[in-house]
Amino acid sequence: MTKVAARRSPARLVIALSVAAALAVFVLYTSIAGAGTPQIQPSDLPHHAGQVLLVGKVVSTSGDAHSHGGMRFVLRDVSHGSPARATVVYHGSVPDPYRIGREVVVTGKLRNDVFVANTDSLTTKCPSKYAPAKSKT
Amino acid sequence: MPALGRAALLLSFGLVLYALVAGSYAAWRRRRRLALSAQNALLASFLTTAIAAGILWAALARRDFSFVYVSQHISHSLPLGYALSAFWGGQEGSLLLWLLILSGYAALAVWLNRGTRELMAWVVPVLAGVAGFFAFMLCFVSSPFDTAPAPADGAGMVPSLQNPYMLAHPPLLYLGYVGLTIPFAFAMGALLSRRTDERWIVATRRWTLTAWTFLGVGQLLGAHWAYVEIGWGGYYAWDPVENAALMPWLAATAFLHSVMIQEKRGMLKVWNMVLVALAFCLSIFGTFLTRSGVVSSIHSFSQSPIGGWFLGFIVVCVVFSVALIYLRLPILRARTKLESLVSREATFLYNNLLLVAFCLTILWGVTYPLLTQALRGETRSVSKPYYDFFLHSFGLPLLLLMGIGPLVAWRRASVRALSRMFLIPFGVAAATGVALVAAGFGSSPPGLLAYTFSAFVLASIVLEFVRGRRATGSVVRLIGRNRRRYGGYLVHAAIVLLAIGIAGSSSYQTVREHALRQGQSMEIAGYTLTYNGLGSKQEANALATRATVDVSRGHSHVATLHPGKNTYPVEKTTSNEVSIYHDPRNLGDVFLIADQIDPNGTLYLKALVKPLVNLIWAAGFLFVFGALVALWPDAVEQRRLAERYASGAVAA
Amino acid sequence: MTLALVLGGVLALAAVAFVARPFLREPAPASDRLDEPGEPERRRLALAEERDHALAALKELEFDHRTGKVSDEDYRSLVGPLRRRAAEALRSLEPRAEGRHERVRSSR
Repeated sequence: MTKVAARRSPARLVIALSVAAALAVFVLYTSIAGAGTPQIQPSDLPHHAGQVLLVGKVVSTSGDAHSHGGMRFVLRDVSHGSPARATVVYHGSVPDPYRIGREVVVTGKLRNDVFVANTDSLTTKCPSKYAPAKSKT
Repeated sequence: MPALGRAALLLSFGLVLYALVAGSYAAWRRRRRLALSAQNALLASFLTTAIAAGILWAALARRDFSFVYVSQHISHSLPLGYALSAFWGGQEGSLLLWLLILSGYAALAVWLNRGTRELMAWVVPVLAGVAGFFAFMLCFVSSPFDTAPAPADGAGMVPSLQNPYMLAHPPLLYLGYVGLTIPFAFAMGALLSRRTDERWIVATRRWTLTAWTFLGVGQLLGAHWAYVEIGWGGYYAWDPVENAALMPWLAATAFLHSVMIQEKRGMLKVWNMVLVALAFCLSIFGTFLTRSGVVSSIHSFSQSPIGGWFLGFIVVCVVFSVALIYLRLPILRARTKLESLVSREATFLYNNLLLVAFCLTILWGVTYPLLTQALRGETRSVSKPYYDFFLHSFGLPLLLLMGIGPLVAWRRASVRALSRMFLIPFGVAAATGVALVAAGFGSSPPGLLAYTFSAFVLASIVLEFVRGRRATGSVVRLIGRNRRRYGGYLVHAAIVLLAIGIAGSSSYQTVREHALRQGQSMEIAGYTLTYNGLGSKQEANALATRATVDVSRGHSHVATLHPGKNTYPVEKTTSNEVSIYHDPRNLGDVFLIADQIDPNGTLYLKALVKPLVNLIWAAGFLFVFGALVALWPDAVEQRRLAERYASGAVAA
Repeated sequence: MTLALVLGGVLALAAVAFVARPFLREPAPASDRLDEPGEPERRRLALAEERDHALAALKELEFDHRTGKVSDEDYRSLVGPLRRRAAEALRSLEPRAEGRHERVRSSR
């Protein structure tokens, strides 16, 4: 079978080729599929035209996500810095922890000043067990 | 009592600091009594840490809300089991659990290896260094023994954690994560003491396998918990905290295989050092990801100062390992060279490359948001499509290699031997592939490939057992004499079952959603689901609302399911309660989610049919069994090792 | 609070005593040197590992041959060098084993 010359170990060749192959696969993927989705907050939304991951805190909510008109909710930046607000229209499953004051993530696109979310793309952050202490009454 | 807890932790910190400083000095200057003293300090730190842990557990059991930690994580109405499990439910408690397991493992490792003094002289300071970091964090950054005026009731436990799986999942994961510290310490100890023999590998072989098994089972339990408790219909979401456990597991898998090459052929010494350091650093990185809030995850929430400390510690570990390996390169020369690209060594090498490549692509995906933020000022993230692509690109060849490896001989394999070995498994795979395409499974090429490769691997494993039995006379004797090899084959079989289960439940699942009024039905994948009623019941700590849905196949009724929601008054949240029917016909599930229940009784029902999903959980049992077989001590081998290291030692 | 202080104090004392134990047991030992394996010991260890590897490789080769993984020609070409390796390792270890028995006999 393959008896390679003992002078140089084929292991190095194999490693080099494999690393090159893995990198090639990786580069091919990222160039075709695009390098990730931008993750932004409501204050950045006007500057982004395509698909984005919108992260924000729920300020108000109305409507039914399973109805024709969908659920409409308003998000603000997670930190209190900006007065910017984003109005989101959403259809699909609503995670149980969802409510006013919760931080949520939703994927979609800005269309005519309203963020149209992809169906079933709403996720909420679990209130972290590792977050600093909140005062209790 | 909190004062005693704090004192115990301070003592632990003092003891491991002594073990680190005195131990390093003793190893460097070859002082016997000082080395023993450092060893004793490490042993004593387990006792003091256990006392601190006992105090916290007692406070949880007593519902002593003067402990801030206790008031933040439990309530009066929480059942005792869950109250005790709150030990690992938060930042400070889980850090204490980490230190407890680490000091316990360290004490055990020191005890078992007390004969090899010159190696342990260096292992002790390395273990003490790692323990010192966690003790420091517990004493000065994040203490579980902070007190405040006790409130009337605690904050309660997040409902999704009130589940038997959460009693087992974190401790098992930690037994895995922390277990990877032991082989790391022995490897670094061997380098520091300039030992070129395999003592460190022999001493840590079972530790690595045990830690790897715990980590694997911990992840499966976590996936099962996500499946039945969070209930979105899946079991793995490529969330950073999930990836945090997968990455060290992949690195440890690579290490388990490549260490066999070092034992048999004396090759890959540097690679093994790099792998064991990588697995350890990834385990610390994993816990850093989970705690720091630095990467946006469904689990993490806010930026925490603890992240900075962990990052600093990881940097120290990486720099230390790289520097030490680099400095000791001259003594890590290989005994032999790879003779053939078609040999078992070569397949192990390919498997290593694939495992590490997969591990690094996951690492890239997890840190991508951080890197893009730092380099471009804009956070970008990757998700399921990215991970799925690399799971297929690297996972499928890995699956195939699991079938090829056992059939190839060490050193080199001839064409004739290979063609004889491969004939039947190849035939089985080809027949399976054709049959599947004919049956319509061609709709998902990755799924089809996974099934076909799985058939190949299973056939090759079965053949190994058949041929081996023919050579030794009985399966029991076969396994008894070759525990590592055949235990390994059983573990491979478990991974194959896992792959089949994953392929079936993801590539071939069906999902339907419908709004149903009472009496209405919906169809999915041959099942009929009829919504027949709605009811509520007051439980211990929640109001349970359940819909009654009858499941039938054709005209026969197969099950009645009750998807719904629980409302928790103390925690002020609702949770999703899914209902699952396990179909013995296809080892799959009919999975129902009550997405929304309107006041007028309309049910928004989401139904998933997931073929073969139960193979994933069954695989877990075979996985543990195979690992136990591989771990089982062999008296003959133990005697031989004891004789080999007779001048200094007791074998591991 | 006082109970905690007392318990803490006792714990600390016990820990210190345990840590100091090696010094308390041997206040003036003949040698406080931590022995490291000298060159002859390291060579013996390397040879012992070499012998065990060769024997294990032989055992595995026999098994692979019996189960058909290794063809007859490959077996014939591989078994010779392996047996030689094992024999060499065994031979190199023997004088040392003899040497050890010598030392033990003379010390009695």
